[in-house]
Amino acid sequence: MNQPPLSATEIGLTRREAIARAIGIVGATALAPVALSAPATEPRKQLLLLFLSGGASQLETWDPKPGARTGGPFRAIPTSLDGVRIGELLPHTAKIMHRLAVVRSVNSTIADHEVGHYAIQAGRLVPGYPVLGSAVARLLERPDDVLPGYITLRRDGPKAYTDTGDAGFLGAKYEAVKVINGRPPENLVIPGGIQPAVLQARDAARRAADERFLRGRAPGPIHGYGTTFDQASALMQRREIFDLDAESATDRDRYGRHDFGQNCLLARRLLKSGVSCVRVVHHDWDAHQDNFYWHQMRCAEFDRTFVTLIQDLEENGMLEHTLVVVTGEMGRTPQINNLGGRDHWGRAWSVAMAGAGIKPGVVFGETNDTGTEVKADQVSIGDLFHTYLRALGLNPHANYHLNGQTNPIADPAGKAITAVLA
Amino acid sequence: MSPFTRLSRRIGWLPLLMAGAVEVCGMAVENGLSLHEQIDAILARDWAKEKITPAAASQDAEFARRVHLDLTGVIPTGTETRAFLDDARPDKRARLIDQLLASPEYALHMARVFDVMLTERRLPTVKPYDVATAMWRAYLAESFAANKPWDKLVREILDSDGSDELQPAAAKFYVVRDAEPHQMTRDVGRLFLGMDLQCAQCHDDPRFDDYKQADYFGIYAFVSRLSLFRDNKLNRSFVGEKAVGDVTFTSVFTTEQGRTDPRLPGGTMIADPVLAKGAEYVVAPSNTTRGIPNYSRRKQLAEQMPRAETQGFVRNLGNRLWALLLGRGLVHPLDLHHAKNPPSHPEVLQCIEQWLVENHYDIQGCLREIALSRCYQLSSELPPGSEPPAEAFAVAPLRGLTPEQLRWSLLQATGRIEAHFVRADAQLKKSNPEEYEAKRNDWRWRKDLYEQLERQSNLVITTFAALPGQDDSKIDPVVDHALFLLNSPKLLDLIKVAPGTAFDRWAAISDPGALAEDLYLSIHIRRPTADETSDVTKIVERATTPAERASALQPFVWGLLLSAEFRFNH
Repeated sequence: MNQPPLSATEIGLTRREAIARAIGIVGATALAPVALSAPATEPRKQLLLLFLSGGASQLETWDPKPGARTGGPFRAIPTSLDGVRIGELLPHTAKIMHRLAVVRSVNSTIADHEVGHYAIQAGRLVPGYPVLGSAVARLLERPDDVLPGYITLRRDGPKAYTDTGDAGFLGAKYEAVKVINGRPPENLVIPGGIQPAVLQARDAARRAADERFLRGRAPGPIHGYGTTFDQASALMQRREIFDLDAESATDRDRYGRHDFGQNCLLARRLLKSGVSCVRVVHHDWDAHQDNFYWHQMRCAEFDRTFVTLIQDLEENGMLEHTLVVVTGEMGRTPQINNLGGRDHWGRAWSVAMAGAGIKPGVVFGETNDTGTEVKADQVSIGDLFHTYLRALGLNPHANYHLNGQTNPIADPAGKAITAVLA
Repeated sequence: MSPFTRLSRRIGWLPLLMAGAVEVCGMAVENGLSLHEQIDAILARDWAKEKITPAAASQDAEFARRVHLDLTGVIPTGTETRAFLDDARPDKRARLIDQLLASPEYALHMARVFDVMLTERRLPTVKPYDVATAMWRAYLAESFAANKPWDKLVREILDSDGSDELQPAAAKFYVVRDAEPHQMTRDVGRLFLGMDLQCAQCHDDPRFDDYKQADYFGIYAFVSRLSLFRDNKLNRSFVGEKAVGDVTFTSVFTTEQGRTDPRLPGGTMIADPVLAKGAEYVVAPSNTTRGIPNYSRRKQLAEQMPRAETQGFVRNLGNRLWALLLGRGLVHPLDLHHAKNPPSHPEVLQCIEQWLVENHYDIQGCLREIALSRCYQLSSELPPGSEPPAEAFAVAPLRGLTPEQLRWSLLQATGRIEAHFVRADAQLKKSNPEEYEAKRNDWRWRKDLYEQLERQSNLVITTFAALPGQDDSKIDPVVDHALFLLNSPKLLDLIKVAPGTAFDRWAAISDPGALAEDLYLSIHIRRPTADETSDVTKIVERATTPAERASALQPFVWGLLLSAEFRFNH
């Protein structure tokens, strides 16, 4: 490797090229063209996934059944969309319903956190596939990207399943970079007192060693490991993207001084910086007890922040190229248990979308009077995954061609919900 | 009746899976083939059938690095590597395997591996009441140093309530899970039977016909009466148990109801004995006392589980030992054995199971056999023109070092372990000359010394380990790891030029060829190529003093430690 010394600003980019050249693989992995449209001059499509972890109750949010035996104590309120009502815990959201598309007929069949976290995000039950954020990071990637394609914002804690699966066979490059409790990754700064020449010599030694080690060996793990160093140098140079202090105090107040609010503001900042996919996890929806109390608390946080975010994205011109998805890993049982809770439920629940590629002001599908079954237009997890890809201008029927294997990007059994697509 | 059929009768479920295996295993027994020869024969046949060309045999250097990592958890020193490469005896690989298995480092390594496997880095909710990790590790190390049979080890772990004078540490398995019955049920199934029955908690698992809700609750009934008792005076946790409590369950799908006594999958229910009223307890449970029943279902679990007749018990051990050396189970994932996820090479697993039963769960002996197999000793360089699938075991996989292997290998490559032991050794010789020989090879003495080194390098573990309860082996490299390796001041502390490290030795070698050889033997566990020697020559050509040489080398050494060749077990 006889690369000339690199200036600080071009290191992240040039390194990756250098590696690709060194290893003789340009574009890393062959991928059939999947973008349906979008010449490179258009702003990049982006994805914001708001993940209601634990499983929000559809009956207290998008699909209320006031008066039904399963309905619970809350009313349904009118919205900006004629004839459509949602739960009274979302008064602000009700005012922007005409900007959203809501699917009320999801039957995911899964009533388990861990399985649901994976399957909802991967659009299938079969393990090993990339989740939505990783898949889209891969599919929307551009050759000059330096930042990681997928960043996830969540709380620290023992519920490891919030990261279930991640990049699957796409490998380390598309794993989510994690912002935990609002803290950016550690070690973003070069320790004091180290000369640039030392760093160059170190990196040259590592690259030369990897180039030699690669000969005759399976390239996947070796590239995957090498990629993490490219990502590291890109993050080091752009670490200001994590700096919430650079946002105004007014904005920090507007988004709400709670984890979800601050994470949504950080998500806006990350999207503005050019990260393809951001996921914000909103925790604690798993209300097996005191479901109605919990949903008052959770919905209050979600409602105001969500609307602030959607309006900001719209005003900044970002919403037209950003797909926003609101989902959990499942819904909650219509049956109210003897602790006043609702349990795990996958048979009839709701997902909301807005922004890029979505037809605003649509409510699709219907459940029966008690919310126990889908009555019309049943939607599967595969259908949702197809829909998200189509909304982002991607072809869900294309395949990944990796390591000599061909895998469908989306479950071939699914089909996009055209009624919610613009 | 061949020994094999006798065994099959004993383990009634085995023949179901056996179809074509009788021939290979049967033949194997009659011809007196050793286990590794049986494995070789089966795999050679399967590769031929699948038209898979396996990789070439590993080079000596490749083998030495791998077997040290797998059996002692750390790369060898440069001196050990050189000695092995220069050894001309034809049976040097078998000798090395035996030498490593007999070393105290084997016991300490296995203690770390089984600590992580059995606790999955969990912490109990109330930390100060945990069984001290050092105590638990010592218990495991002692068990592996004595090559305690697996059934005995499992029985002790399930039997210990923390009060046992001999094995109080064994209760850690319960304590880190707060003895929570559902968590216990799931992990007993996963870790001892290779079956993750979690989905069967609420209904028969729709994915697999053989995971039944009744199986889940059969295990659950063994542990449903448990709770953790925290002793405020002793600051320790004990496992308490009630004498009453029946288990019923309802399917959320069918609303069908069931009731069960303790029962292991495939086994029969064990009814509680009828005790006279008032005779239920040795000590009745209360806020201040730990419940000790006269009849303990937990003790029944400890009794029933570790037997060849228990469905999955032997298979799980065989599969896990295989995965320890080959990076992946014959059944993969390790805890999802069911009819639709059969082993990739059923006969290999059957031969291992048979061997384990005949040899009373001899873990050390089983690892020895697997390590002797051709399969284990294949190269990680691909056979020309193809990349065989991982489940064919036809090429050595590239597996990331575990956090523990990475920590010790960083300390080994930089000479810190050797230096530490040289100092301690001299001290021991001086202070205790009579017992010197016996003590220096005692795992206890060595364990304390390793623990001193652990303190400076704990951040390596926390950075690279999975979250508590999550399986480490699924962790891919992520950007946080790279940032740590590039920028963490703690990491820099471990690899900087400092007296008492390998830099002393490297700085003193003025001949570039000899220097390159020492560097590569110590870090990459092989001799350098001509290109690599010339790289090293260029780096030190302008250095005129040892100090200059050391500082010229430091970035280069750092780079090698960040390379894929160092990061992977290959």
